[in-house]
Amino acid sequence: MSILLDQTNRVLVMGATGNYGKFFMKDAGSYGTTIVAGVSPGRGGTDVDGVPVFESARAAVAATRADTAMVFVPPVLVRAAAIEAIEAGCKLAVITADEMPVRDMIEIRAAAQANGARTTGPNSPGLISPGKAKMGFMPSFCFMRGPMGVISRSGSLSYEGSKRLTLAGIGQTTVVGIGGDPVKGTTAGEALALFHNDPETKAIVYLGEIGGVEEIAVAEYARSQGAKPVAALIVGKTAPPGKKMGHAAALVGSKADGYTAKTQMLAKSGVYVCSGLPDLVKQARAALAAS
Amino acid sequence: MMILEYEAKAMLRAVGVAVPDGSLIKPGARAPRVREYPVAVKAQVRSGGRGKQGGVIRANNAAQLKAAAKKLFATEFNGEKPEMLLADPWLAIERELYLSVTVDSAAGGYVVLYSPKGGVNIEDGPPPARYAIGPAWKFRANELRSILEPVESDYRIRERVISLAQRLVDTAAARDCHTIEINPLAKLADANLTELMALDGKVVYDEWAHNRNADIEAQRQGELKRAHKLLRASMDMGHMYVKLDGNIGLISGGAGMTMGAMDMIRDCGGKPGCFLDVSPGPASARGYKPAFALLDGDPDVKVILVSVFGGGTQMNRVARALKETLAVRKSKKPVVFRLDGTFVEEVPAIFGTFGAHNHATLETAAKEAVKLARHAK
Repeated sequence: MSILLDQTNRVLVMGATGNYGKFFMKDAGSYGTTIVAGVSPGRGGTDVDGVPVFESARAAVAATRADTAMVFVPPVLVRAAAIEAIEAGCKLAVITADEMPVRDMIEIRAAAQANGARTTGPNSPGLISPGKAKMGFMPSFCFMRGPMGVISRSGSLSYEGSKRLTLAGIGQTTVVGIGGDPVKGTTAGEALALFHNDPETKAIVYLGEIGGVEEIAVAEYARSQGAKPVAALIVGKTAPPGKKMGHAAALVGSKADGYTAKTQMLAKSGVYVCSGLPDLVKQARAALAAS
Repeated sequence: MMILEYEAKAMLRAVGVAVPDGSLIKPGARAPRVREYPVAVKAQVRSGGRGKQGGVIRANNAAQLKAAAKKLFATEFNGEKPEMLLADPWLAIERELYLSVTVDSAAGGYVVLYSPKGGVNIEDGPPPARYAIGPAWKFRANELRSILEPVESDYRIRERVISLAQRLVDTAAARDCHTIEINPLAKLADANLTELMALDGKVVYDEWAHNRNADIEAQRQGELKRAHKLLRASMDMGHMYVKLDGNIGLISGGAGMTMGAMDMIRDCGGKPGCFLDVSPGPASARGYKPAFALLDGDPDVKVILVSVFGGGTQMNRVARALKETLAVRKSKKPVVFRLDGTFVEEVPAIFGTFGAHNHATLETAAKEAVKLARHAK
């Protein structure tokens, strides 16, 4: 199994006729993702490489039984598009956009909760269940099927980390980009709960950063009864306090936000903490061996 | 993006929060004037810890005010010179409280934080009481009341804090703020003044709401204006830059990977000279030229390490952009490359045409950069 995504998800693309939308439909479609519809107001009735385009998410869902949305519209339009897809019946909406106002994500998260749906992102590369399906723009060659669940706050770090795992023969059930923003569709704690309930996932790799509160949830999970083993890499030990390191959530505002406090808390909770990227495979192996 | 205290207080005043009736002092003002003495003269800077660095001076008369202004305008606070001073009336305080609203992942939205003991050492005390709200419309006074009851025994203060908190949550949502913090929120000694007063204010705007908030756009323009010319060109491309104290200039993509590369440089015995994430910018020479110009123009940078791992970004395009950039570059600072990701297999052939070498791993690239930095003068 995997979490959130496999070949059975029926995907509609919000913003299907833009550059990202078109590239995604080709790339993810050839990877195995089941893409059934596009939505582009004003372009209803046309198609993108044979995939029908609709005026609204509701029309797309009615015609194609789509249950999952890939949101590829400009940041200021994401709130409208994501909520439209959720209210049309999509149970998962994947958001990759960066530069999105945080209030919009707060509203999207509330809309998802009210409709029994889930979102991932924003400011994320998406997610991939290797060998099955992908959403977003993760470079496919970095991943292979296997027993490791991967959660990442950062896109390129998830490629780097996953490629190292793949080269070492450690495949992944699903790699989830939870994103670098302060309010997330799926938090680290929620992603851990999903991996916990996935029988195929034997252990979990968490790729985190300084700043924010995600790592507290990772430590809490690791301490809980019957938790699957977790290995974690936290980047930003060289980040100065008080400066935003690209991601809005990556800011050391207090001692608890810093590298030392986070890694100590994780180690005390039984997490296999990596000393740096070169140590990732070793700690991931240790986590797998303990499963 | 953080705004200055006097700007934050103007926002608070506009939504009905009591703030001191202070006076602004501009640089170069010959005889600054205030309404009454004594005053607290406060440097308007964005970095924290101002009080502990002598950024607040008491002045009892015009001569002291003039001297304080001169001194504060000449001082740098974490590398930042005050653009403005704020002279607030010196008020007698009975109690200092802490109140803030911020966004929080675990809450899925806004949280209210309150401590009955505010002031400069807030971090050393017990963690503040926390009310997780989510979207602003889920704020309930009774929920916050039950959280505050165990920590704030004075019901008059408690009720004032609750109505202030609601106002701050509404304001954070309406005006796209990540954080609105009042520390201290003061109960004044003057018994006639029952209103709690915001003696300091910190507002962090959500910069990505600039399309719908002219104040935020103005702050963004101000940030660009304050940046020196080379940095401005890079910021115009959407690059994100933080200067660090080392000598290895890092050009990277993605916040997490950039920090990962910074950490790797240190683990190899070197010191990163900056965080420079160019991934929001175009993967073309138009994007890379200002990044190189910025680091070539920084005398602290001795070596440049380009480390990019791209998914949506195609490495053959990046390699061609680097070739084009380096062809017109004047600086002789050595450059170390490590590209990986989509179409990386085409990189060696492109690099071969201008004698560059692409490292297979970040480890070997960082090691070479550290070695070169050690030998550089």
